[in-house]
Amino acid sequence: MPGSGPPISIPIMAVSVGNALGGCTADVVAALEAGRSGLRPCALDVPREMVCGAFAGEPAPLPAALASHDSRVSRIAAQVLAGVSRELERAVRRWGPERVALVVGTSTGGVAESERAHAAHRRTGRLPARFDFDRQHAFHGLLDVVRALTGARGPAYVVSAACASSGKVLGSARRLIAGGVADAVVAGGVDTLCQTTLRGFSSLEALSRTACRPFSAARDGTSIGEGAAFLLLEREGEAPVRLLGVGETSDAHHMTQPDPEGRGAARAMREALEQGGVAPEEVDHVNAHGTATPANDAAESSAIVGLLGTSPLVSSTKGYTGHLLGAAGATEAVFAALALERGFVPASLGAEPLDPAVRANVAVRARSGRLRTALSNSFAFGGVNVSVLLGAAP
Amino acid sequence: MNSLYVGGVGLSAPGLSGAGGGGAAADTGAQALPPALRRRASPLSLLVCDALAQAAAEAGADLAAIPVLLGSAYGEIGTAVEMMRSFGDGAGLPSPIRFHNSVHNTPVAYASIGRGNRGFSTALAAGPETVAMALVEAAALLAERGGDALVVFADEPLPEPFAPARPWVAAAAALHLATAPLASPRARLGVPRRGSAAAAALAPALEAHPCAGAFALVEAVRRGRSGPVSIGPPPDGWVVEVEAGAS
Repeated sequence: MPGSGPPISIPIMAVSVGNALGGCTADVVAALEAGRSGLRPCALDVPREMVCGAFAGEPAPLPAALASHDSRVSRIAAQVLAGVSRELERAVRRWGPERVALVVGTSTGGVAESERAHAAHRRTGRLPARFDFDRQHAFHGLLDVVRALTGARGPAYVVSAACASSGKVLGSARRLIAGGVADAVVAGGVDTLCQTTLRGFSSLEALSRTACRPFSAARDGTSIGEGAAFLLLEREGEAPVRLLGVGETSDAHHMTQPDPEGRGAARAMREALEQGGVAPEEVDHVNAHGTATPANDAAESSAIVGLLGTSPLVSSTKGYTGHLLGAAGATEAVFAALALERGFVPASLGAEPLDPAVRANVAVRARSGRLRTALSNSFAFGGVNVSVLLGAAP
Repeated sequence: MNSLYVGGVGLSAPGLSGAGGGGAAADTGAQALPPALRRRASPLSLLVCDALAQAAAEAGADLAAIPVLLGSAYGEIGTAVEMMRSFGDGAGLPSPIRFHNSVHNTPVAYASIGRGNRGFSTALAAGPETVAMALVEAAALLAERGGDALVVFADEPLPEPFAPARPWVAAAAALHLATAPLASPRARLGVPRRGSAAAAALAPALEAHPCAGAFALVEAVRRGRSGPVSIGPPPDGWVVEVEAGAS
């Protein structure tokens, strides 16, 4: 079994999240608890009607020393990273900067900057004078910013596996700590709204004209959002929530369509449970991938029910934030961690009337109560599946 | 983490020969993907699948079951920029194939679908440290799971209007890595460490390639050379110790 051996339990020492619900964790939590969606009509120049989850407020400019790296993706990353800065400074002091690694998930990085530069080039025949492809578009430009802001000097890389990117960073973080490569890892994800994804998902006819409604009989597509989330994981420490396992599989089925029976998704969840030494009946909550496309939700429900039965409360949070693509995995892992810590399962917005073919126990209303463990699922183009298992401290 | 054993290598650099070049031809990917997928696959995917197939064949590894890791600094940048051209018309939408081929993990997705591999795959990037970071992730994965894995390094040229002053050609290199000694290993690799080593002589079109270190590494393994290999970025980046033929 992949990753077998004694279960490894890694404390999550700090989390931070920002998206359409709010620019900081407290605002995001308040919106989740109030059942308030951040989805609004899309303000970008797009060729059809759609709603989006634009980041709440205008993300602050980067510090002057990083001005040449300026991009929306780095600005959002920087703002959300600030939410773990105090704990991170402690971790860098404790372990030493060379022992702190960075793994960041993104699907499109700074492509929005290149889209604007490319449009300017079409109009004028020249790229904007201040445009720097490597610093503003390329994934390593984002990595430069995160490295500079954290002071970490250990291994640093971007994982880019489309919508599974920042779920998979937690698998990398687990490996780096377990393998002795690092003692602490800043793991997270970030993505922004851009023409590439808004028009691309339009071309696939995968977008709803209204706020997406995961698991509903009335669902007709997803909504795209932007945001970031970061988690600080350390070799040792007291934390309310711990990372227990990360299952990573492939469907080997189709570039954009999931296996209709959700077999790859089920294997990812099973792998996470086996790594964590957790039985299916011990899972109390699933933060589903739940994109609100007809194919995804049906396949994911089959996978959840087939493996876990109908006891766990299942929520998709995409009706609040939109699909955050490369930031979805980390964001929803943070949501699952907050659910465990606070004993609160957010309502799956827009789920009623439920699709009768969806047999999973969808939380159509928010629920409170102690939760033992939670899974967070992310699936992606190319048939990539990741499932993150988190456990509450006893 | 312990050292890793190289069971096979692959190189796909159409049009190049000599140091760091060679391999691959007009039918790149022909052996690696079924025709229906090959017609849809991106150019970078064809190179990656070709290099993977070579390394797997040399090591006797099963492409339907082995974990696969991709390191690429810029990924599917040609497809992504081609999409931008379609936005020139305000109502423009990209083709669905072009859109799904624009994600960074496209090449390993085709490798998975083409061979029915339902296991682990990932795709990562770290600019000039891409080769080193892909090897770090591969070593950590093998420490976690044991067994073997394929790691492939690939980049294509940056298209206009984003082409750099020192361009490079599309090329991919692959390594089959295992945790346990093999019956006839090509080499043993140390874990990547920070340090410096003399840069290998590569074909001029690969000198500025983001994955140049991988071509140097494959060249050292193929030629049976032992010693430290710089895997970038020069001059004081990352180094891997190679011990030729060690079991």
